[in-house]
Amino acid sequence: MEMSRKQRWQQLQSVFEPGFRQMLLVSLLLHILLPILYFSPWFPKREPAKPPVYRVNLVNKIVKNPQAGRPEAVSKQTQPAPEPAKAEPKPVPPEPKPEAIPIPPKPKPEPPKPKPQPKPEPKKPEPKKPEPKKPEPKKPEPKKPEPKPAVSKAQENALQKRLEQLRARAEQQKAEAERKARLDALRAAAAAESQRVASPVKGAPVGMLDGKGDEAGVSATAFVREFIQQQWVLSQHQVSGNPEAEVLLVYNSQGTLQHYRFLKKSGNSIFDDSLIKAINKAKQLNQPLPSAEEFHIVFNLKEMLDR
Amino acid sequence: MKTFQTFLILVSGLFFLSSQALAVKIEISAPGEQTIPLAIAPLQPLAAPVPEIAKEFQQVLENDLDLSGLFDPVDPAAFLDDARRLGLRSSEVDFAQWRLLGAESLIKGAYRVEGEKLTIELRLYDVITRRLLTGRRYVGKLKDVRRIAHGFADQVLLSTTGELGPFSSKIAFISKRSGRKELYLMDVDGHNPQRLTNHQSIVLNPDFSPTRKELIFTSYDKGNPDLYRKEIYTGRESRLSMKEGLNIGGRYSPDGRELALTLSKDGNSELYLLGTDGTIHKRLTNHYGIDVDPSWSPDGHKIAFVSDRRGNPNVFIIDVHNEEVRRLTFEGKYNATPAWSPKGDRIAFARLENNRFDIYTIRPDGSDERRLTFGAGSKEHPRWSSDGRFLVYSLEEQGKKSVHVMRADGTGNRKISTPGSDDSHPAWSGRW
Amino acid sequence: MQKSMKCLVLMFLLLSLMISGCAKKPVATDEPLVEVEETTVVVDPEQPMAVVEEPIDEAALAREAAEAAEQRAKSGLERIHFEFDQYVLTDGAKQTLADNAALLKAAPNVEVQIEGHCDERGSDEYNLALGEKRALATKNYLVSLGVPASRMSTISYGEELPLDFAQTEEAWAKNRRAEFKIRR
Repeated sequence: MEMSRKQRWQQLQSVFEPGFRQMLLVSLLLHILLPILYFSPWFPKREPAKPPVYRVNLVNKIVKNPQAGRPEAVSKQTQPAPEPAKAEPKPVPPEPKPEAIPIPPKPKPEPPKPKPQPKPEPKKPEPKKPEPKKPEPKKPEPKKPEPKPAVSKAQENALQKRLEQLRARAEQQKAEAERKARLDALRAAAAAESQRVASPVKGAPVGMLDGKGDEAGVSATAFVREFIQQQWVLSQHQVSGNPEAEVLLVYNSQGTLQHYRFLKKSGNSIFDDSLIKAINKAKQLNQPLPSAEEFHIVFNLKEMLDR
Repeated sequence: MKTFQTFLILVSGLFFLSSQALAVKIEISAPGEQTIPLAIAPLQPLAAPVPEIAKEFQQVLENDLDLSGLFDPVDPAAFLDDARRLGLRSSEVDFAQWRLLGAESLIKGAYRVEGEKLTIELRLYDVITRRLLTGRRYVGKLKDVRRIAHGFADQVLLSTTGELGPFSSKIAFISKRSGRKELYLMDVDGHNPQRLTNHQSIVLNPDFSPTRKELIFTSYDKGNPDLYRKEIYTGRESRLSMKEGLNIGGRYSPDGRELALTLSKDGNSELYLLGTDGTIHKRLTNHYGIDVDPSWSPDGHKIAFVSDRRGNPNVFIIDVHNEEVRRLTFEGKYNATPAWSPKGDRIAFARLENNRFDIYTIRPDGSDERRLTFGAGSKEHPRWSSDGRFLVYSLEEQGKKSVHVMRADGTGNRKISTPGSDDSHPAWSGRW
Repeated sequence: MQKSMKCLVLMFLLLSLMISGCAKKPVATDEPLVEVEETTVVVDPEQPMAVVEEPIDEAALAREAAEAAEQRAKSGLERIHFEFDQYVLTDGAKQTLADNAALLKAAPNVEVQIEGHCDERGSDEYNLALGEKRALATKNYLVSLGVPASRMSTISYGEELPLDFAQTEEAWAKNRRAEFKIRR
């Protein structure tokens, strides 16, 4: 049997010209080269950077050179980290004023800016809390000094009125406190929500799957992708077809949106409006970036379920 | 070999050139949140409060919006004081509070009851951009509270999706609650059922006129299954087709000028086109098999129907103009009651398997078949809402039939028939 | 002993006498015939009346016979049954129809409506058409057996009028049927 096979091979070889082997080799080499070329970084792929299929836990810090690890992981070190990150937004507020000017494309978002800016971060609500609530408890205080001169007049009726007012205020404050407690619970729930991105690998270090650096954290790209996706609200029942829009977002190093621009509108106003809202909610990334950066984001519904 | 090398160098050089260092490109291929967090603040009284009115309004609106599948309601238990504040104008609403609760959309409203007169004013806001999406004031009678709620639900859908909702429309159906099968009409949530016929015979398979407040149906009132027409508000009734044999499955064309039905006057069931005066315009099919259950494509050029011409009952599509017939369903052994979506993109039908029907949809080209219903009972007679968002169908379980609605993808299933009634053969009206 | 023997012999004689007497009876039957003729003679005076009325009596008899045939047709027309999603007549159904055809032919004045019915499985509209096919298949077979088509009409009730509301194979088999309703 072997003999016959060899014979057949020889017969085959004799059929072809002498250069055949070389040609075969070249073809083989070319075939190997093609995939190498394709997967090389300089091959222009049609698909925009799609590797961030993984989820990113938004409590993780944005670093320039993330180490190898998992972006959805939460390390004990990084959990305290968000607190400093939260502290940072405080210095950010002064910036909103400059922002308001450079974001011209949409006049609508301007009025809400001053207030919503603290709120877009439902996950890091601590800095926001004081703003909505403080004003109310503060009000009763300035009024308290007033009763003192009233007492000096010794008008009992007035005093009683004031006492009633005070009591009413106390009740109001009580109600406020209750509301505050409820809000705290809400915030806790929101915070828990933000950490719902659970890592499939327990105890994995925080980093990027392709991380080559030495810092525990995630890349700005991965963070921004996750952050903006979480702000984006759209129901499958709102749009049909396959709308796609492209937006350029420019963030400064503080993680504040400087301006944005539609590179391509989808033509579906419901879809485009949902993006404007998401961008509105993403004015603050809640933590600084290693450097100012531009993001070219392609929004579409390719992975929307049940379509 | 050398030419190959130079070629390679050229190609790789091109690749280098084409790679550009631009902004970081990111693709986001699905929204992170796929339901809109919606807060519905309770209606505030502008005059003496009538809590039942506010409550009924709230229930109807919530039920409609829940069926839409668009929204994720924000728990009212978490509402802050703005929910109880009367201010309806955008300058008066504390959007910050609602945003804190995670709401993206907000409905605020107020009502006034003066004797029998009811006024309800409603606003839908976008919490993020603080924009008024829609504002409506309704003035009616106290008994109109459900209508007002349905009407506003339609507006909410218009603002949110660009297309009005179907909640103000009606559903016709056949019920045996009087002992015999008679024709009834009800709201899309099953309320206000009204009997329209008193034939004390067998009434079957209604269809709404797309242009008038009128229904067609088949009745054995005169001993033969004849096709009747009934004007809903005048009650006027007439026989439209009374050929010998079957006059069944009447369906108005989308423009309301013709109707398709099954006649068996020549000894075999065939599809015909009829004028609205009952005269035969055209015979569509000519086959010794059974041809029934026509359903028009929204453009009026094609009709899906059921035929056993290839053995088992299956859905076919016929071109109204050249009468070319194409088979649509190939799976299963018994496919019936096709209903072409008003959007045109899908055809719903019922498939019999293991002695019970389930509802499926399929594209008109025969691809992408999907099963919508599961579980116990036989689900039949799917019919679309006029916007193609929802399907209504009948379910038979332990000998009792009831009418149900669901979204076009099979989610959000709910029974709308009154408990204990024996209802089937629903049909959804157009805009009412 | 001798006494008993004598008794036996006596009884035997008596028996043989009786038997011979019986054998002779055919002869005796001839006599009553004569007597009958005598009685008819006696009855004769009454007969002229009866003769006048006789033709009417025959018509009445014919009518009675026709009515009886009608009654038989009305009560005797048996329903037939079909297989699931079929309108082809089974052999059993054909036998029943042969009996039905005989009854119908014997009662030429009877007109019937043939009702086609289906079981609850299947779509309503399809079942209306199927019921009609069953009714027509039944009618056509009766026509082939010599029942004039003009005496039969058809109607389909689809699955609207089941005999048995149970959801069992037996009930369904019972409900897949063609029935005969007398129109006149």
